[in-house]
Amino acid sequence: MAVNDADQSHKPHRSRQSGAKKAKSEKKKKQEVGDDSRKQNPKAFAFASSAKAKRLQSRAVEKEQRRLHVPIIDRSNGEPAPYVVVVQGPPKVGKSLLIKSLVKHYTKQNLPDVRGPITIVSGKQRRLQFVECPNDINGMIDAAKFADLALLLIDGSYGFEVETFEFLNILQVHGFPKVMGVLTHLDKFKDAKKLKKTKQRLKHRFWTEIYDGAKLFYLSGLIHGKYLKREVHNLARFISVMKFHPLSWRTSHPYILVDRFEDITSPERVEENKKCDRKVTLYGYLRGCNLKRGNKVHIAGVGDHSLAAITLLPDPCPLPSAAKKKGLRDKEKLFYAPMSGLGDLLYDKDAVYININDHFVQFSKVDDENSSMAGKGKGRDVGEALVRSLQNTKYSINEKLENSTINLFSQKLNVSSEALHDAQSRNIENNEMDMDGSESDQDEAVPPNAITDSETSGSEEDSDTRDDKAAIGDHLNECIEFHGGRRRRRAVFGNDVDQNDLKGSYEEDGAISDDAASSDSEFSEESDDDEDDVGDVSKWKEFLAERAILRHTPSLMQLVYGKSTGNSTSVKKEDDGSEDEESEGEFFKPKEEVRKQKMRGGLDVENVNTEDCSKTTKFVAVKRWEDKDFEQIRDRFVTGDWSKAALRNQVSEATTGDKFDAVYGDFEDLEAGEKYEGHQTDSEVAKMAQKGEDLEAEERRLKKLALRAKFDAQYDSSASSDEEASNRNGAKLQRGQANESSYFDKLKEEIELRKQMNIAELNDLDEATRLEIEGFQTGSYLRLEVHDVPYEMVEYFDPYHPILVGGIGLAEENVGYMQARFKRHRWHKKVLKTRDPIIVSAGWRRYQTTPVYAIEDRNGRHRMLKYTPEHMHCLAMFWGPLAPPNTGIVAVQNLLNNQESFRITATAVVLEFNHAAGIVKKIKLVGHPCKIFKKTALIKDMFTSDLEVARFEGAAIRTVSGIRGQVKKAAKEDILKQSKNGGLPKEGIARCTFEDKILMSDIVFLRAWTQVEVPQFFNPLTTALQPRQKTWQGMKTVAELRKDYNLPVPVNKDSLYKKIERMPRKFNPLVIPKSLQEALPFASKPKDIPSRKRRSFAERRAVVRDTHERKVHALVQQLQLIRNEKLKKRKLKEEEKRKEHEAERAKDEQLLRKRQREERRERYREKGLVRWRHPTKKGDKRKQSSSNIWKTVTLGHSDGANKRLTSSD
Amino acid sequence: MVKKDYKRLKGCQSFRQRLVLATLSGTSIIIEDIRVDETFPGLLKHEVSFLRLLEKICDGCYVEINEAATKLKYKPGIVMGGKNLAHDCGVSRSIGYFLEPLLVLALFGKKALEIRLKGITNDSKDPSVDTFRSTTLHVLKRFGVPSEGLDLKLESRGVPPDGGGEVVLSMPIVQSLTAVSWTDEGMVKRIRGVTFSARVSSQFEHSMIHSARGIFNRLLPDVHIFTDHKAGPQAGKSPGYGISLVAETTSGCFISVDTAVSRDHAEETSDFTDDEKKGLIPPEDVGQQTAYALLQEIQQGGVVDSTHQGLLFLLCALCPQDFSKIRVGQLSQHGIETLRNISEFLDLKFVIKPDPKTHTVILKCIGSGLKNLSRKLS
Repeated sequence: MAVNDADQSHKPHRSRQSGAKKAKSEKKKKQEVGDDSRKQNPKAFAFASSAKAKRLQSRAVEKEQRRLHVPIIDRSNGEPAPYVVVVQGPPKVGKSLLIKSLVKHYTKQNLPDVRGPITIVSGKQRRLQFVECPNDINGMIDAAKFADLALLLIDGSYGFEVETFEFLNILQVHGFPKVMGVLTHLDKFKDAKKLKKTKQRLKHRFWTEIYDGAKLFYLSGLIHGKYLKREVHNLARFISVMKFHPLSWRTSHPYILVDRFEDITSPERVEENKKCDRKVTLYGYLRGCNLKRGNKVHIAGVGDHSLAAITLLPDPCPLPSAAKKKGLRDKEKLFYAPMSGLGDLLYDKDAVYININDHFVQFSKVDDENSSMAGKGKGRDVGEALVRSLQNTKYSINEKLENSTINLFSQKLNVSSEALHDAQSRNIENNEMDMDGSESDQDEAVPPNAITDSETSGSEEDSDTRDDKAAIGDHLNECIEFHGGRRRRRAVFGNDVDQNDLKGSYEEDGAISDDAASSDSEFSEESDDDEDDVGDVSKWKEFLAERAILRHTPSLMQLVYGKSTGNSTSVKKEDDGSEDEESEGEFFKPKEEVRKQKMRGGLDVENVNTEDCSKTTKFVAVKRWEDKDFEQIRDRFVTGDWSKAALRNQVSEATTGDKFDAVYGDFEDLEAGEKYEGHQTDSEVAKMAQKGEDLEAEERRLKKLALRAKFDAQYDSSASSDEEASNRNGAKLQRGQANESSYFDKLKEEIELRKQMNIAELNDLDEATRLEIEGFQTGSYLRLEVHDVPYEMVEYFDPYHPILVGGIGLAEENVGYMQARFKRHRWHKKVLKTRDPIIVSAGWRRYQTTPVYAIEDRNGRHRMLKYTPEHMHCLAMFWGPLAPPNTGIVAVQNLLNNQESFRITATAVVLEFNHAAGIVKKIKLVGHPCKIFKKTALIKDMFTSDLEVARFEGAAIRTVSGIRGQVKKAAKEDILKQSKNGGLPKEGIARCTFEDKILMSDIVFLRAWTQVEVPQFFNPLTTALQPRQKTWQGMKTVAELRKDYNLPVPVNKDSLYKKIERMPRKFNPLVIPKSLQEALPFASKPKDIPSRKRRSFAERRAVVRDTHERKVHALVQQLQLIRNEKLKKRKLKEEEKRKEHEAERAKDEQLLRKRQREERRERYREKGLVRWRHPTKKGDKRKQSSSNIWKTVTLGHSDGANKRLTSSD
Repeated sequence: MVKKDYKRLKGCQSFRQRLVLATLSGTSIIIEDIRVDETFPGLLKHEVSFLRLLEKICDGCYVEINEAATKLKYKPGIVMGGKNLAHDCGVSRSIGYFLEPLLVLALFGKKALEIRLKGITNDSKDPSVDTFRSTTLHVLKRFGVPSEGLDLKLESRGVPPDGGGEVVLSMPIVQSLTAVSWTDEGMVKRIRGVTFSARVSSQFEHSMIHSARGIFNRLLPDVHIFTDHKAGPQAGKSPGYGISLVAETTSGCFISVDTAVSRDHAEETSDFTDDEKKGLIPPEDVGQQTAYALLQEIQQGGVVDSTHQGLLFLLCALCPQDFSKIRVGQLSQHGIETLRNISEFLDLKFVIKPDPKTHTVILKCIGSGLKNLSRKLS
């Protein structure tokens, strides 16, 4: 035994999964967890102060509140589509290499070239789709719209580049998906410290842009031209545990990232005209929300298109089965990248593509003449033979038809005929699902000679079916396609053209077109219609009319919606069969009423013109109620039997789709062709009861689900709900509050309930109805067929540029004015000018438009701005395809790749649609008076016509001098004539009144607001319709045009500043009217009497004195003389005295000054001596005193010594 | 951008609904062959009036009618709503004809709507104003329309031929409706009603009430029928009388019928044609017949009466993308037309399943996910 010990394999320890031991250990563990914090030092976890506790608590609550988002209902069920991982970065940073490394990590496959999306299965629950973001701005914008996760590659050795920030800004506007930074080229650093510093720096810059703690990955270097395995592995881990938030735009719009693209135009047409519109198919996973058949789509860079057909294809990259196991098996590590040229078999709706590389098969190149040469090559295997046979078929129809016995895919036979149907009528397409089933049935039933049969008929009606033949020919020649340098063959199988189908469809068309049937033959015609309508292909439909007679009742849905709704009037095609049985056929009242109305009308009313009336008055039909009638409805009243009424409600709940028919007697499963007998009523009741039980169980299940959902919502702990798990950490903080049912929890609960109900209801339906009701589910792989696509799309298709197909919502294909809150990006260098074109990305679309900027005034007026504000938001109004409010917009002005500046011009968000653009700008009308009455004046030049005057009646005006006034009316002609004798009276002269009389030299202003027209211009960016390297050129800005054509900036001379030359103003003298003068008081009266020419009388007269007078006069003169003499003397004396006094004062002054000078001198000397410690020469000392002042300060403390020195001196 | 393509329709059937759906879904339509073969071809007065009303409450909509009025081109705009609007509905159809589409349209407007409608308040063709007050507004509330600002005020009565009635409708706006699961019809717990008389003796009302009560008393004690006698200017321009009855169930469903009797215009053809040749129906018979009609509606089952089926379907179709489940009695002609129109404009089909036990129909649908796009983002 001991010998064998070495190679004995020890059984590893297995912990108990159940039983007593397990329970014990669990109990123990629980205890541990429960008082984990208590067990150790409890004081360590207590709060030291209440204030701190409060602060912490409030912080926690705040954080919790910030975490909350309005819960969004997730309507997608089923498997999620692969998550799109966009790898973005400036050129030469290692994007392709990263994708290659990741693909290698996940699938162990080497990818030669990264072209188009690459789908891989990354885990049991998760698939990923890697896309490399193109390097132009258009590609970046599109990539931002479909990315679920963006890996931003940054060249560590270089630092951040503009592209990264541009992309981040675009991402932010389009809903900000998850972002992770990846630093590459780190092996270029030789210095470890420098590397560390750089990492730190870049990380913090990255954080400021996104949020603190955003993940930045480091790929330290390359080994054998690949990233390090460990690092790629880590990155893959991060990707695979990432949670994705729903983004509001995407959850409300279906979209497809195209991973395969085919041109299926018939080669003949292409050969005829290379530039003919093409028919293309686009393949991809449906994301966002469900896609309905009628939905229109926008192909980014191409335009809006309606989908000619949508087909559900099997998932090319399915998730592994949900068996319990740890990892993925190698077989399940699937990988799907048709654009990259991997995988050799492609399954289409109607064909299988076999991809054979050219070096494997030489015979694919050879033609008929040297086929023998190919034959003598290697031994033919089966595949080769098959391919060869396929090659042969393309030359003639007959050959092909003979080959038709090769039947590999039996259920895919009817497709080509369907393609023909497509071209003719879309309504067939609508019912395609039904048709598929039925036709395949038929094909199985048809004996093999049916084909030859149809062939002969085809030859007989040669003229009739020539088109068909051509179409068939088209179909055959399509076999080989050259695509992306790769030869592809389409395996088309011989018998898929069914002449029967064609004929049927033709007949049907005819039947639809001639519906001018007289009312007499209404019945037969209708039944005929019905036959054609339903039974164009299959035999069983021939008996439909008979069946209708046999009281067969079609389902209500059919009755309501009819089979074909191609004719938009939705012509009624009810069967007439039911009308005779009123007793239980109560449901078919409507039909009957149509009939009644017709009868009432008396004449042959087309029912397209029935009266529009919601009330169906039946007063005529109202019968007198008998006692038994009352008894019938007694239970509908509260006075009746409550239990019965309750039953009524319950039973009805129980009714599920396929049960009702039984009550109506026989019904036949039309597709299966089986016939069921109706049950007896009593057994039916029993069944109902049973059904009721079933229902109860169902209800219980639903409730349980809802409860669980509620639980999940409250304690975010259930692993099943992904979103919940993400905020588990946050929730722990406020567990205490979450326990009370807050508003938020209630919301969540409601949403969960609603979701469960939806799922339950959906599961109730069968597949076909479900598709009709719900549309194609998200996560399914679809093939979209689009017709009439410009040939450029095919011509310039570039797999490096992923195609985005986005669904258009209701009313989103309409064009109109949008108002957006707009802000110029702070890194964009220039402000934007009103009406300069910018390129806008909103929703799925990119287009060029000309916005008018505005700002809201205090009073709610939107005033136009010529330029965007420097650092503020403003409003932008522009014309374009409408995007719903709250849609983010990013604007760029320049698509050029080589420019070094930041290309994102502005960001915005749509506020509203507004057809009436309400932007105004100031306008100033200038006029001059042409005639002035008292306070009224006629103003010319302000308006150009009387009509214009009428428009402005009552408007306030003002003169330059500040006199206010009002526009009254257009001036009458007679006044004009009066004013202008000679020239013809001009139009547009307004009579205005002012508060004072104005002058002829006054200028009159009218200030008003005028509506600004927003140009109705938008230009979709058709970047997919031109070579990718070419820059899209749209409308140019004014500045660009000026530069191109070398035009000068127009200058308004009036706006230039120049020297103002004012003439000196000449005022007329003031004239006071006489009446006024008289009224004035004397003091105010003007007293300037005019100078006379002649002297006055007093001056002129001669004076003759008598003697006495003469004496008096002489005496007066003498006295005056004496007095004058006296005054003169006194004056002289005073002068002398003053001089003396002056002299004395001057002497004194001199003395005083002298003394003062002496004193001062003494004082200074003293001061100077104090300052000097050492006795030096006087001159030197003075010099030094000026230069070395700081020294004196520092030496100030030795005053005493200096003094001593001076005293000794 | 693809060139704007118009949806082509024929005939004037369900004219209002088509326009409503076109407006809500933003589809431009062309309606051709409007009464081409009739004595009075083209659009009738009330239809033109409805177009005018649309132009009034919408912004940027475009209507073009050819000379004979047999072809209509309609490009929808944005529903604006607004206060202090007024519209004269004319006398060819009653106000109910205009109210039905307006109720749906106004919900998806930019601003709350307040509009004064003048015309006929009660006639036998369209649901009367009383029915709107008692029933229709309750249906709206089921779909999450707030009850504040949801009101229909009756200012004065007006009956054919001359009208003269006036109502003020105020409607709030919604962001989106909420899907309903409304299959429990409950039991009738009370019956209410209003009779009116305008320019006739109030004695008419008493006889109507008397005869109606006589029928209901066998089933239910809780029956109250109110009278509303109008005289003077409030009574409008023509004489008439009528009754509107509502049965309320335990689960909060309202089932209503109404009728009005008055002298008719010459060209009007109604269900009363036969009776009216003899003369107007006496009030006793009106009361009785209306009561029977209500019982018939109750017998049919469903959460709404046959008149409101169309509205119910429309509201379900305009819900967010959740399942709505409703139960109605027999599908009325109008209901079926509504279903067809919905499938045409919104690409949305209902799952229709009869419930044989109760002779009702259960309809289910996923809403179109319409959101109020015209609402301004604040």
